[in-house]
Amino acid sequence: MLLFLYISKSLAPTKKISLSEEELVSKLKSQDTIAIQALYDMYSGALLGVISRIIQQTEVAEDLLQETFIKIWNSADSYDSSKGRLFTWMMNIARNLSIDKLRSKDFKNSSKNQDIENNVDFIDTQKEITFNADLLGLKDMVTALKPEYNNVLDMVYFKGYTHVEAAEELNLPLGTVKTRIRMAIMELRKHFN
Amino acid sequence: MEEAKAYIESGILELYVLGQLNDQEQREVEAMAAKYPEVKQEIEAIEIAMEQYALAQAIEPSKGLDLKIFEKIDNQQSILNIPVNQEAEVPVQKQQVRTEAHIVPLNAGHESKIRTLRVALAACIALLIVSVIALFSAHNELGDARNQIASLSADKQQFTSTVNFMKQNNSDLQKIIDMGNDPDWKTVKLAGTPMDPEAKMTVYWHVSGRHVMMDNSKMDLPVNDKDHQYQLWALVNGKPVDLGVFDVKPDTSSILVNMKEISSAQTFAVTLEKRGGSPSPTMNQMIVAGNVI
Repeated sequence: MLLFLYISKSLAPTKKISLSEEELVSKLKSQDTIAIQALYDMYSGALLGVISRIIQQTEVAEDLLQETFIKIWNSADSYDSSKGRLFTWMMNIARNLSIDKLRSKDFKNSSKNQDIENNVDFIDTQKEITFNADLLGLKDMVTALKPEYNNVLDMVYFKGYTHVEAAEELNLPLGTVKTRIRMAIMELRKHFN
Repeated sequence: MEEAKAYIESGILELYVLGQLNDQEQREVEAMAAKYPEVKQEIEAIEIAMEQYALAQAIEPSKGLDLKIFEKIDNQQSILNIPVNQEAEVPVQKQQVRTEAHIVPLNAGHESKIRTLRVALAACIALLIVSVIALFSAHNELGDARNQIASLSADKQQFTSTVNFMKQNNSDLQKIIDMGNDPDWKTVKLAGTPMDPEAKMTVYWHVSGRHVMMDNSKMDLPVNDKDHQYQLWALVNGKPVDLGVFDVKPDTSSILVNMKEISSAQTFAVTLEKRGGSPSPTMNQMIVAGNVI
């Protein structure tokens, strides 16, 4: 039961659960609560990172992280491992919830939005970003990407633009936008693989 | 092979991983991935890169957020677990129900709000139309009512004047009756002269009170034109004394007409004079005359 998890977690807060992707998927689909615990330990930071790029207010972003995990839990059935990795699916849930929030009327009205262009810098100065030790230098790498490639990826990945909207905004042909997204991701792959 | 390579280079796989494709495009990518292992590998490589990128930019959530989430999920669980005991073997159905139950209200709340607002708008417009019609008809009825009031008020005025006329007539007639009982009242009948033998009229004279009155009901003189007027005279010891001018109209309003006073007279006569009267009578225009008996 989850109560047991609470206790074990509060007693040993540093002990993190980590499972293989197949185990995670099968436990999530059989609604074993250990799956959500493991997903939280493994991916809550990454998902909050994604959400925070779109929604800067910490409180709202953490609410969205909660919603994301509850939706992951409730929609586990609709995840199809043949169509992609679990994280991709979770990341898209987090992004879609954040973008819906960003575009919702009550959010637009209530928040004093930062200029969207300053999002990345704002996050970097306002929040403590926990880089993995072996990934230090990534930020330099990312900013070293050709800015025009990085810019397109940022708009689509973080700012809730569709690639069609990004093409219109930047006044570029759709093909060019696609190419730039591909080039930016190629750079990331070079770094990580 | 060539097809797969071109497909990979088109950039569509990146959009697939970023969740940018519509259902049809997604199915197309999935079909290609099933057909070409290198497409599937490429998708996975992109996914891993994005995953690493996200992990590299992780932000640690506030402490205790995990417990909040577990608590919410646990609450959901326990609510659903009550009836589940009997149907523990249909977890798939149970899950679908829960998924729907969780997702639907997010949109439904919004849409029902819009629907409510639409209904409210329609109701407002309907109410406005009804109000305008009601206002218009009220306006028309008010106009009708005004006309009725005006015509009633005209009727009333006519009625009042009729009543006044009848009152006046009544008091005049009463006065004429009373004259018979008062010996001081003299009734003088004036007969037509050769100028108009048919003409006649009656004058009442109160000797001590000196009142002189003409009786319109017993008057038979031709209607005068607008340049001339009749003038009543009293002959006092052979001298004519002016008693005032009068008109003969087809519609006379009262029976008795007061004229100027005279203390003694032997004869009354009427001449036709220019409008306003003359200082002395034009004898050849005398139309009626009569002596006091």
